[in-house]
Amino acid sequence: MILTEDKELDFFVGTRIGSFKHIKYHTDTSKNNKKCIENLVNIKTLQKDDTITCMEWGNAEQTEILLGKRTKEVQIYDTTYGFSKSYTADIGNGDIVGLGKHKRKVFAAVASGIVNIWRKKDSETIDVGGKLDRMRLWRDGTMFATGGEENDLKVWKVDEKTAVFVAKNLPHDWLQLRRPVWVTDLTFIDENLLAVCSRHGYVRLYDTRAQRRPVSNVDTQNLAATCISTGFDERQVLVGFGRGQLHQVDFRQNRLDKGYKGAAGAITSVAVSEKHGLIVSTCLDRHLRVHDRDSKSCVYKQYLTSKLSHVLVQTECTTSLKADVKEEGDPQETASQEPVAVESRVEDSDLDEVFENMEVVSEKRRKRPLEAIEVESVKPSTEGTTDPEDAIVKLLRSTEKEKRRREKKRREKKAKSVFHNA
Amino acid sequence: MARGKDKKKRKLEKKEETEDAPKKVPHTLESLREKDETMLANVEEEEKEEAQKDMELDELSSYFENAYEPKVLITYSDNPHTKTRIFGKELTRIIPNSMSRYRQRSSVKRIVQSAIREQVTDVIIVNENQKQPNGFLLIHLPNGPTAHFRLSSCKITPELRKDYKEITNHRPEVILNNFSTRLGLTVGRMLGALFHYEPQFRGRRAVTFHNQRDYIFFRHHRYEFTPDGKRAKLRELGPRFTLKLISLQQGTFDSKRGDYEWIIAGRRHQMETSRRRFFL
Repeated sequence: MILTEDKELDFFVGTRIGSFKHIKYHTDTSKNNKKCIENLVNIKTLQKDDTITCMEWGNAEQTEILLGKRTKEVQIYDTTYGFSKSYTADIGNGDIVGLGKHKRKVFAAVASGIVNIWRKKDSETIDVGGKLDRMRLWRDGTMFATGGEENDLKVWKVDEKTAVFVAKNLPHDWLQLRRPVWVTDLTFIDENLLAVCSRHGYVRLYDTRAQRRPVSNVDTQNLAATCISTGFDERQVLVGFGRGQLHQVDFRQNRLDKGYKGAAGAITSVAVSEKHGLIVSTCLDRHLRVHDRDSKSCVYKQYLTSKLSHVLVQTECTTSLKADVKEEGDPQETASQEPVAVESRVEDSDLDEVFENMEVVSEKRRKRPLEAIEVESVKPSTEGTTDPEDAIVKLLRSTEKEKRRREKKRREKKAKSVFHNA
Repeated sequence: MARGKDKKKRKLEKKEETEDAPKKVPHTLESLREKDETMLANVEEEEKEEAQKDMELDELSSYFENAYEPKVLITYSDNPHTKTRIFGKELTRIIPNSMSRYRQRSSVKRIVQSAIREQVTDVIIVNENQKQPNGFLLIHLPNGPTAHFRLSSCKITPELRKDYKEITNHRPEVILNNFSTRLGLTVGRMLGALFHYEPQFRGRRAVTFHNQRDYIFFRHHRYEFTPDGKRAKLRELGPRFTLKLISLQQGTFDSKRGDYEWIIAGRRHQMETSRRRFFL
């Protein structure tokens, strides 16, 4: 019973005209409707160059989103408080092709081949030599990787002016002709493993410890790859193509693995929710699609009015819709009178009551299970093999965690209000 | 049941029908069309607004703001035969400010480059197979989109027993019919953007792109109002042809590495799920 329980996921979608949307997705697909979609930007104010060219999470907790626009503006969006800061990346020509943030450092890459790093006070620019199509930051914020047209993969350390790793092209083909290079998208699989896809029809896996040439190379038969994302396994990636195909690429077998059908136009961005086994993709035909990992079927499809350019999936936490928050009243006002948490309409009421009674728990006990959960969520490949009992336990834990967080928030707010009253 | 009885019944029904005033609308594939979520009619206000904005900000918007006068280049596949040549020539007479050039073995990408240099706003490439024109590539410049159509049942003026000299130099009126989905709107806008935004009504020429079940029918008429001014008499000037969309691509022509907005090749069985499903 609990297994089929509805879970919620949040998608954030950026579009070519500059609108920015939040979609609340229910794993129980019958619950999805148009009310679950909301615009986070006023459409009337959009200008010609507001195109969102890049979108990335700003922190590991997934509460901050970095938006790169064609006007070279980098905006920071907080999922609870809205737009906060903005920077202008006036460093070179072309679109913003990569963003990243780690603590106070903000990274932005521009298509002409310049990466800018804003620190607390100063800023630094790095010329990567050649055109850029993509820059990605490794999650600990010390490394980033770049690649573009005729500019093969390079990995950089943040404080060094020269690249730590420069990829080497494959040897000439059987006609002794050079193989063309065009990195359209790349992703870190782990610290030393990088996957790269290209419009020239290949997907490559690099191991920075082993060699400069790719460890494995998958030819995609003249399909122009547009985007790549980490898969459910450390030897698998998901690749979207310009003619509308979406495939899992397996580096063990060196071939295209599973195909996820349904798109009528180029895939612009793929994202994965490992917990739920879902693949989310945006497409130039203005649809957002969600595929099931194993059955390969399209479980959800939504028309979103404008051409989509990027999607992010929030797996670490949830965000409630603006409309829901408003219904419950202005959060700051209610906080001072009666501490009602903002995200309070998430789980079943029965469970709620159970946990309401569990309120008083000593500090030491609380910490241990939380850590355990975190470790579990990091492990990717165990997800598929869990039996239902485990899943139930996990679900209970996650609800517990959620509950606790809410309790804590509530208490904090209460304390604050008391302080203010005094 | 006896068949004769059935027939009688039907006759009776028919009689009743003729007596009652309201006439039934016949069911056709078109009228029973499956609802498409991208159709602009009867959607919410916010979505409509966004779609409007989407159109305001796309590559074709500057034409609809009357920012420029379209200049069209018409070219062919290599070594076109008579029919294709005549067809192209007739197109130049229909589309104002257009010119027909032989391709000279140039590649599409190079044509696009030089056309941008010459400030051409649209390029049409007519392909030919077995002496019949069969492909119609429409590239909007400088930043796309590119539409590829299949061209069929093309009738040039001699085949219709008309004379191309009847086609005057006046700028025609353009009628775009039945483009209802979001994809259809883009295609309709692309076709509309070939013609000058200001028709010369004096010429009484009308060019029609009529979409029916995803086939776009082209007709070219001269009209004349009856003395009472209620109806118009039409005289077809020719040529006639039919287009069917194969793909719509973002940006200028790059069939190998480009991003497609919509493409049907390789997924026809997935997409054509029903006879009542149409894309334009």
